[in-house]
Amino acid sequence: MIQVQLLTKRYGPHTAVDGLTFTAPPGAVTGFLGPNGAGKSTTMRMIVGLERPTSGTATVNGVRYADLSAPLRSVGTMLDARSVHPGRTAFRHLMAMARTHGIPRSRVEEVVGLTGLESVAGRRAGTFSLGMGQRLGIAGALLGDPGTLILDEPVNGLDPDGVLWVRHLVKGLAAEGRTVLLSSHLVHELALCADRVVVIGRGRLLAEAALGDPALGAGSLEDAYLRLTAGSVEYRAGAVDGGTR
Amino acid sequence: MSARGPGATLPRVVAAEWTKLTSLRSTWWAALASVVVSGALTYLSADAASGDPGYDPLGELTAGLLLTQLGPLVLGVLAGTGEYSTGGFRTTFVAVPRRWPVLAAQAVAVAGFALLVAVASVVAAVLAILPAASSRDLPVNLTEGSTPWTLAGMVVFLTGAAVFGLAVGALVRRVVPALVTVIGLTLVLPVVLTLAVESSGTTFVEGVTPQERAVNTITTLLPSGAGGLLVTSSDASTVPGTPDLGAVGGGLVLAAWALVPLVAAGVRLRLKDVK
Repeated sequence: MIQVQLLTKRYGPHTAVDGLTFTAPPGAVTGFLGPNGAGKSTTMRMIVGLERPTSGTATVNGVRYADLSAPLRSVGTMLDARSVHPGRTAFRHLMAMARTHGIPRSRVEEVVGLTGLESVAGRRAGTFSLGMGQRLGIAGALLGDPGTLILDEPVNGLDPDGVLWVRHLVKGLAAEGRTVLLSSHLVHELALCADRVVVIGRGRLLAEAALGDPALGAGSLEDAYLRLTAGSVEYRAGAVDGGTR
Repeated sequence: MSARGPGATLPRVVAAEWTKLTSLRSTWWAALASVVVSGALTYLSADAASGDPGYDPLGELTAGLLLTQLGPLVLGVLAGTGEYSTGGFRTTFVAVPRRWPVLAAQAVAVAGFALLVAVASVVAAVLAILPAASSRDLPVNLTEGSTPWTLAGMVVFLTGAAVFGLAVGALVRRVVPALVTVIGLTLVLPVVLTLAVESSGTTFVEGVTPQERAVNTITTLLPSGAGGLLVTSSDASTVPGTPDLGAVGGGLVLAAWALVPLVAAGVRLRLKDVK
């Protein structure tokens, strides 16, 4: 379970995340939606301790991420496909990750198989396509067999096969009782794989509801999304920062 | 699916950093460069000096050291900046959110690897003086006098250079500025300072001028000057006007050059966001 409470992040005068509160419960895929620059990635980086909140808290199973005794075994994280040294092979990248937690080589081979990277595991990550990089990121997230998964735009750059695979993967993980927080700007895709959604705009919570909840209104998730984020569109149009900070 | 067993302990993070260091080609290229430069420069220098009347083969052991350190320096800088010049730091610090063990483990892994590279480079230098020595039928005895200390000093010098490179790299986080900093401090600045004093036209004055004294002191306290004290036998005449630190003092100054930026990098990691 991920709990975010009154989370705020300011960069000088710019407020990226503004008093955000939501919960990602176990046994469900929580879709994290919002326009570019809404603060999704910043929120996720704060949950895993790469950035410190200006105020507010983020916890996983009630514990601050940095205080987890074995973070990779509790939380699997995929933030950015470019979180790998391009000069290292995919296998060595995963081995280095595994060694920090005493995870055996057999588990590395297992996730390589799970993500379909067998044929390219010996290749340097710098030669990977975006889709292969995403698979490597997902392999890293699965490494510690964690009860919570945080995936930032995991279907970006995947071919239709890969998109389908991620959809089945996250649904399966949630069905096993795990917590999955998955961000995407692909509303259609989230409508297919999420059980509930958290919609944010300009760093603030716009809606938190189960799919099909009347709070999201009649019509498709896309209709609800466009209606909810209508006030954030000017921001999106004028944004300099594409959410990659 | 819950947290089981201990997580990122320091020995595990060291094992991970060792895997990361040895799985990059650049590490092996820098290691190879160190060994090749050491052997080649020492050979050329020994060959050129072997015609001198008072030729001492062991005197040429350290002839290539100043440029040999470039290999360990680059190795250290690339290890220190590699996380940040790529997005690798995200993976690293998500696995080890306390962060400081990563820096400590990098120092251990780089020092350990550089130690092996340093030993190989010193072996190359020893082998490189043999042809010139045998051409003059001079014996090479490595166990006599100050020679064992010189050999040990060379190893410490080269290992220290790698850790110094790592420390600056981890603090500066970008490859080019870090390389400019370490090469500037070790190779360029001493030459520039020496030239500056010489061009001021004081060479014919008896004794040591205040400027020379100041420059010699600064040069001695720079990383390569301090490291150089490690390989200078105590009976050798010291540079005029420099503080007499000895080999241990030189080693401590070199250690400070590595430790200060390393601690600063640790403080930066602790206080600031990584992104």
